[in-house]
Amino acid sequence: MMAKVTLRNLAAHKLRLVLTAVSVVLGVAMVAGTFIFTDTMSRQFDDLFNSIGKGVAVDVRGKQIVDGMDATGAPVRPPVPAAVLDRLRTVEGVKNPIGNVTGYAALIGKDGKAAATVGPPQLGVNWVETGGSSDFKLISGRAPAGPAEAAVDESTLERAGYKVGDQAKILLQGPTHSVTIVGVIETPNLMGATVTAFDTATAQRLLLKPGFFSDISMDTTGVSQEVLRDRVAQVLPAGMEAITGKQLVEEGKSDIEGFLTFFRTLLLVFGLIAVFVGAFIIFNTFSMLVAQRTRELALLRAIGASRRQVTRAVLGEAFAVGVVGSTLGLAAGYGIATLLNGAINTSDEGGLVFTATPVIWSYVVGVTITVVAAYFPARRAAKTPPVAAMREEVRPAQRTLRLRVIIGTVMTVGGAAAVFGGLASGTLELLGVGAFLVFLGVTMLAPVISQPVIRLLGAVFPRLFGTPGRLARENALRNPRRTASTASALMIGLALVSGINVVQASAVSSIGQSIDKQFGADYILMSETQMPFSPEAFKAVSQAPGVERATALYMGQINVEGKALGVQSGDTAGLVAGGRMQVVSGSTQLGKDGILVSEDVAKARKWTVGSPVAAQFADGARQQLRVAGIYARNDLLGGAPVLPLETYLAHTAQPLAVLGLIDVANADTATRQGVERALAQFPNLQLQNQAELKETFQKQLDQLVVLLTILLAMSIIIAVIGVVNTLALSVIERTREIGLLRAVGTSRRQLRRMIRLESVVIAVFGTLLGVVLGVAFGAAIQNGLADSGLQVLSIPVPTLAVYVVLGGVVGVLAALWPAWRAGRMDVLKAIATE
Amino acid sequence: MTNTAPITAEELNRPGAADLAARAQDVSKVYGSGDARVVALDHVSVGIPRGRFTAIMGPSGSGKSTLMHCMAGLDSVSSGQVLIGDVELTRLDDKRLTRLRRDRIGFVFQAFNLVPTLTALENITLPMDIAGRKPDREWLDTVIDTVGLRDRLRHRPSELSGGQQQRVACARALASRPEIVFADEPTGNLDSRSGAEVLGFLRSSVREMGQTIVMVTHDPAAAAYSDLVLFLSDGRVVDQMGDPTAEKVLERMKGFDRPGSDA
Repeated sequence: MMAKVTLRNLAAHKLRLVLTAVSVVLGVAMVAGTFIFTDTMSRQFDDLFNSIGKGVAVDVRGKQIVDGMDATGAPVRPPVPAAVLDRLRTVEGVKNPIGNVTGYAALIGKDGKAAATVGPPQLGVNWVETGGSSDFKLISGRAPAGPAEAAVDESTLERAGYKVGDQAKILLQGPTHSVTIVGVIETPNLMGATVTAFDTATAQRLLLKPGFFSDISMDTTGVSQEVLRDRVAQVLPAGMEAITGKQLVEEGKSDIEGFLTFFRTLLLVFGLIAVFVGAFIIFNTFSMLVAQRTRELALLRAIGASRRQVTRAVLGEAFAVGVVGSTLGLAAGYGIATLLNGAINTSDEGGLVFTATPVIWSYVVGVTITVVAAYFPARRAAKTPPVAAMREEVRPAQRTLRLRVIIGTVMTVGGAAAVFGGLASGTLELLGVGAFLVFLGVTMLAPVISQPVIRLLGAVFPRLFGTPGRLARENALRNPRRTASTASALMIGLALVSGINVVQASAVSSIGQSIDKQFGADYILMSETQMPFSPEAFKAVSQAPGVERATALYMGQINVEGKALGVQSGDTAGLVAGGRMQVVSGSTQLGKDGILVSEDVAKARKWTVGSPVAAQFADGARQQLRVAGIYARNDLLGGAPVLPLETYLAHTAQPLAVLGLIDVANADTATRQGVERALAQFPNLQLQNQAELKETFQKQLDQLVVLLTILLAMSIIIAVIGVVNTLALSVIERTREIGLLRAVGTSRRQLRRMIRLESVVIAVFGTLLGVVLGVAFGAAIQNGLADSGLQVLSIPVPTLAVYVVLGGVVGVLAALWPAWRAGRMDVLKAIATE
Repeated sequence: MTNTAPITAEELNRPGAADLAARAQDVSKVYGSGDARVVALDHVSVGIPRGRFTAIMGPSGSGKSTLMHCMAGLDSVSSGQVLIGDVELTRLDDKRLTRLRRDRIGFVFQAFNLVPTLTALENITLPMDIAGRKPDREWLDTVIDTVGLRDRLRHRPSELSGGQQQRVACARALASRPEIVFADEPTGNLDSRSGAEVLGFLRSSVREMGQTIVMVTHDPAAAAYSDLVLFLSDGRVVDQMGDPTAEKVLERMKGFDRPGSDA
């Protein structure tokens, strides 16, 4: 019987429940889409690695001595001397050994822009005729031969706007290289990576080191991969290793799996935030539905339904909404994944991967959140006294807010403590739980906060908008809980967006301050993609007129006490001047074995001037170094120890600079143009002065903010739906009142204005709460990271003000439909509705 | 005959007809169609004399509320004309109709007369506030004193008794000096003492302030407060009575108890 009540109610309140379901749908869609998309990517990467591993029984490569990545994201390994290839040919069982060269190379498009973007690797390889790197096939033209020819993969060629026979420039870590495109390569789905192939000698010269390979792969004549590996290992020189093809594939897969897991977690977090926001909407809708049905529920109780049955009837509705919402969300998630896959994937091989995981997640998340959020309204429904059925006017008792204040305060304070704890210890989970608790706590407190704030916000309404304005304010104040939970949904998204903005503004100010403080050179030289670049550029710059000094800063890794330690190097005098280094003890005369360490490192490792440091370089060589000097904390150079340039270069196969510091006699336009002319061969390098450098950082951080804001947009959309829902339900609830207002002469316009203003005041209240909370979060994060380079707190007041204004706009938009409905309502309802 | 209302179309249009605040001419109101067709008003013609307290009586389903709703511009008619003064409501769009209700008509309903978020005083001045007009202070004071609610003006409706709420509703209806006040069962939800207070107040506003009031009721005791009673049955005006008493009205009403009976 109660099941019938549940079903009838679902049927009777279709529209409201659809709106509620929408808030479930959006959140679930993000969660489901995340799984389907990342599963698909994972499958596609697996396919890629499987195809790369095809025909490779054993792979020979340099042993990785020091942890670290090169410019293409591959681990740093010593290259394999070409002589090894000849030796491998003598090993029994080895079939068709191939020396591979892999490095960074990017085709510059017809529009002059490097196809170099942050993201998938841009690979330069050597073209190997027979089988070579697995599935690469020439589909038109011919193989590259000689230093001025290259072949390019099909989709990159298309994107760059070239055809076979065209002249093109190729961006390398060294000087830009001009080639004729002679061939087009068909590749397996490379997940956005690009491929430029040269002949082997050219590839070695441009990408690696003449006479060396990145690795040597080989097939087997029949012996197992393991047996062949062991045989090959016996002939290898020191510092080289052999692995099976299977292991090579597994390594590739597990590397990418790490990245995909991070990516999936990131997206899931935003999906779950959206679901969390949706919970507020569900809670609110069910609260209102229960309040409107008080008499009906009381009747059920009066005729003998138990409390538990009433609770179950309401929860049954929630369950149904959850199931419908989850199903639609799953479908929408599939749609999102299709769009994402289409946007990222150039080839359309293979469809989406659809496993049980997104299905399980969708239903568990969607149904659980709906039922949990509806639980409290359901319990309240069960508490309806049977006598309420007999009462003329149903007025739910306004329960005291005191308990709420206590619980809310405890949660907020506890959450804040967790946030600070999380920041202090660097535990992201603790930070997340803290933020979650603060949100819940503030939501609990919101009804109390709403009264004075809305009174204040609405204070000008009567004067500006007359009676509709006053009614709007009073309506917003009328049910503090409802107003508060509607506003809270909006608060969450806004708090996160505002917090991100505060952190970004603080980062921009902090970086600006650091640049002001530490930037000693006239110009800084960096690649647009912040990829390391060839020191060749410095030779060119030094020869430009007016250049006094061009200092390259190199980064690298050494092992100290068996653990990797990031180091840097460069002309010491140039670094000291360009980075305004302050030496607190010792000297900057490094000789061949002296290093300069920062105060922090010295303190952490208990080093003093003269301390011995046993180091092992990336090429495997070991050397005893000593601490020559200690420098004060430096924002430009960071805290990494500085090696003598000569020593660094001696142990680095292919030295690459991360940035350059350039001093000129006269920082005028002519000098600058001279330097830029000298850099013409390096179109990816950017010469910037202090102001431009600040701007570059700001732009990068802006992009990050935009990305995160887009990810949070779903939460904000859900919150806006929540405002629509609340208003629509309020309008239904106030049918008689609206009818009365119409009867005594309120025009439709005035009525719409009243509802619009109520919406605006709720939305602005939610936005304000969010912005205030966001500033608090941002300030907490800045405070926690003050020692890690976020020393300045900067609150972007104009941006935040824009958010508040946008909050008002959102209010206007959210009210469109409810206001239209209210205006359309029959005047006679005032008298007719029983 | 000044106490009686013309009830035929001819009488209404006769030159020199009694001064009428509102009239309905040949008004019909039909709901639904086919088998579900219900005729709520069947070619009704009626005039409401100015400065009089007119009661409309009839059994449930007689169409008395529908007649009032149509005359007050709350509901549309299927055919015929409704005039307030010399303005024909049936020709007005929603905007003008709303303005007319606001400026020229007062309402008292059976229940839910007040906006719960506004105080008693704010409720009284609501129509004028909506119109953006300043209330006439002196008149407002007179009305407030007449309803006797001066000490409750700052209270919200939930803090007032049912009788007090209805008196506030009456004060609201009168405060803007409308041409005509429509009251729909104003005492239907009140006990007899509170009802008597409200009715007494309505009558005195007619006698002392010259207000025109139309009241729909099914209570003969309430009708006895009026100057003129119109009887409706099956969507038609079937009779009228001047200077009614509760006994006379009750006697007349007995004739309607049997469904389908004619007067």
